[in-house]
Amino acid sequence: MRTTSHVDKARLTVDVELQRGPFRLQINLQVGSEILILFGPSGAGKTTLLNTIAGLVTPDAGEIAFNGHIFFRKNRTGININLPARKRHIGYVFQDYALFPHLTTLENVAYPLWRQRDASLRASILLKKLGIAHLGNRYPHELSGGQKQRVAIARALAPDPQLLLLDEPFSALDLSLRERLQNDLYELQRESGLSIICVTHNLEDAFALGDRLAVVQDGILEQIGPVEEVFHSPVNHHVAHTLGIQNLFQARIVASTPGGNVLDWEGLHLEAPFKPIGVGEMVTAYIRAEDIRVLYPDIPINKAVSHNQVVGKIISRESRSNSYNLRIHLANGHELQVRFPAYSYSSLPLVLGHDVKLSLRRDRLVILVPNKGKTLKQSGFLTMAKED
Amino acid sequence: MNWQALFLSLQVTAVASILIFVLGIALALLFARKHFPGQIIAETVVNLPMVLPPTVVGYYLLLFLGQGGPIVGLLGVHVLFTWQAAAIAAAVAGLPLMVLSARAAIANVDPALENAARGLGSSEPEVFFRVTLPLARRGVLAGLLLGSARALGEFGATLIVAGNIPGRTQTMPLAIYDAVQNGRYDLANQMVLLMTALAFLGLWWVRRSEQPRRPQSNAPGKAEEQRSQR
Repeated sequence: MRTTSHVDKARLTVDVELQRGPFRLQINLQVGSEILILFGPSGAGKTTLLNTIAGLVTPDAGEIAFNGHIFFRKNRTGININLPARKRHIGYVFQDYALFPHLTTLENVAYPLWRQRDASLRASILLKKLGIAHLGNRYPHELSGGQKQRVAIARALAPDPQLLLLDEPFSALDLSLRERLQNDLYELQRESGLSIICVTHNLEDAFALGDRLAVVQDGILEQIGPVEEVFHSPVNHHVAHTLGIQNLFQARIVASTPGGNVLDWEGLHLEAPFKPIGVGEMVTAYIRAEDIRVLYPDIPINKAVSHNQVVGKIISRESRSNSYNLRIHLANGHELQVRFPAYSYSSLPLVLGHDVKLSLRRDRLVILVPNKGKTLKQSGFLTMAKED
Repeated sequence: MNWQALFLSLQVTAVASILIFVLGIALALLFARKHFPGQIIAETVVNLPMVLPPTVVGYYLLLFLGQGGPIVGLLGVHVLFTWQAAAIAAAVAGLPLMVLSARAAIANVDPALENAARGLGSSEPEVFFRVTLPLARRGVLAGLLLGSARALGEFGATLIVAGNIPGRTQTMPLAIYDAVQNGRYDLANQMVLLMTALAFLGLWWVRRSEQPRRPQSNAPGKAEEQRSQR
């Protein structure tokens, strides 16, 4: 599977504490030449962490160092250091891109190079690299989300940083653009050996792009490790909850057409939306507990939930304040978690030990595609076609 | 036409405008980007000349610049009843307009853009001159024009700190007052017309500078593209 050799050497070490009102951030992590995904719900402190690394937020205590240069140090012993953001040479792609609205695309990318004589030449080379050379004279308000994204990345890369921070880079992009950019970033990292930290709260992004995954919640680093490892063995229920995966399973692709994939989960055949994976491959897939419906035995089945019908035995049943959780034992030996609001199925006797019919929503069954499996060369960082 | 008064007015306004620009930008930046104790009091004091009678402002300036005041006491500089005093009075009168307008314009600039510039290697002065000021330019320019126009029309405070000495401190508004007092309505008419024209030009320019700049010409069909993207 995925190699971890490029992760071995830590280049960025972060060990910081910060208190802002009731919010407390306390994080210790190392990043090598790799793509580290910072994953967590909003308000977990992901952006704050990026800002402390970039020098835009000053931690209360701790140390941040990159390639032997100390960016920040404040502890009881020694001399305090706080290198200003402009001297850290970090590429930072902000969530809303933060392109300078009074400058054209080319001027934006050339901004950090202005003291250099060949600034606009180097900027236009970067634009070409990212496939947006034709947008050089446009202003940010004349660009689409995906185009702005490219410009922001080009600008961040212009001063040739060795560390690239990306804050929710895919949130504003549609699916195809998202995948292309993920490929580009992945290839860029492999080509240049950059250290990349990418914030996301989307599982698929994390899986598609990341070498390692760091789960952050309430300002605390809950778990860090290779993406699949964190997915498959969350260290505690916090991580499992943050990842939002109750029903994670391994299955084999038995059919793949543009209309969708069919999975074989140890005898159970399930349909899922199309992902480009070869027949016969083992994949990781999941479905959220909320996306499993209980079917009434006597009511005609709605078309939306007619796929992926399975039968299982109720082995536990608990009610929370406003929802029900069921654990269902399936014929293939595995379990499913099902959750629904308290007002649903009130007329249905959900008795322990009885069989119940379920539908796994086809459109919500997610196949996770690891970055290693992709055919990267087809849409490489250097050969990108024009977009929109 | 009282040419002496005109040239003196232009000289006083030019120097006052420089003072208004430098001090106004500094104060606007301070008020828009920093938070410090007593900030509201400081902002109120800067804005006071807008609502106080000009004679009150003039009286304060008289205390400040005159014998026993800090300028004479600490610097040993005597400026009362010189054109420099008139320039200071004009600057104090025009400053609030500049600060109000520039402060709003600077506060409107997204701090994330300034942070982005810092991350891209810009020092604080570079951030200001390459990002903040260009983005706030309309409000800054409007404030400067309004402040300069106000400085050009300063009367009351100027009369108190600079007097009304023809050829030395008599600016246009004072000359008009003199002309009317002496019954020379032909002279007053000329000067009034000129002042009105200057004020009109100033306000017209402010209005024009506040119009959003049209996007620069680009590839054809851009507008349609934009519409389809929204």
